[in-house]
Amino acid sequence: MTQNANIDILPMACVGLLLVVMMIMTAPMVMTHSNTPVEVPKTHTAERKTEEDIVVTLTVDNKLYLNDQPINKSDLEDQLDQLLTKDQYCLVVVRADKDVLHKDVLDIIAIAKRAGAARIACATKKIRE
Amino acid sequence: MRRRIPHKLQRPEGLILTSLVDIALSLVIGFIVALPMFFETGIFVSQPSVAKAKPGQESDIKVNIHLTNDGKIFLNEKPIPATVLPDLLPRLLARSVTRRVIISSEDRVRYNDVVQILDMAKQAGAADLCLLRIGKK
Repeated sequence: MTQNANIDILPMACVGLLLVVMMIMTAPMVMTHSNTPVEVPKTHTAERKTEEDIVVTLTVDNKLYLNDQPINKSDLEDQLDQLLTKDQYCLVVVRADKDVLHKDVLDIIAIAKRAGAARIACATKKIRE
Repeated sequence: MRRRIPHKLQRPEGLILTSLVDIALSLVIGFIVALPMFFETGIFVSQPSVAKAKPGQESDIKVNIHLTNDGKIFLNEKPIPATVLPDLLPRLLARSVTRRVIISSEDRVRYNDVVQILDMAKQAGAADLCLLRIGKK
């Protein structure tokens, strides 16, 4: 009985490939707090963010989420206040559905301002030309 | 008797990993290219805080846009058609020092309509975008 002297690296390569595919699939979910499905408005101009931020999501049925966790409007200020005490300049991103009323978005921005947010942005999706 | 395999058909000693590595590499490149598309972008906004105006303070060129429930657009309190706004905004902002655009709206205006105006202002060269909240009477 003879044993093959070469190391069989095919399974290792397959596992490596699988890891790459898994990373591709999970990276957007891990790196952002934007898992709540919301159709954000499409714009031509936009600034890209590359930092850890606080995401407040407002869905089309007026449900509110803070970092993908459901929250009541009355609790939002306290929760934001707690998060912003660590870093006042942490970016607060308002992800609102394009079909919600603007006054509801303004309410969220006002709450964020009251909680001490110094930087607020509205999430949009850039139109690819 | 051992059957002789032609030299060309004989399997090489090691595994051919070139194609596998190529696929992996192209996946990584695809991932790098596609990653920015997964992320949303954003428009920075601010809500102006109330401050007492000092007498004799010189005001800058104002760009106040107001949206009504029936889709009308008011630029500095004058009604204008939506098609004129992309031409007017750059001209107004070019004369402004702060290049600030203040946007207010009535209570039934959709968020998307306001964002489109924000986008238009950004394209026209606005440096500061403010969303004005009209207080309840």
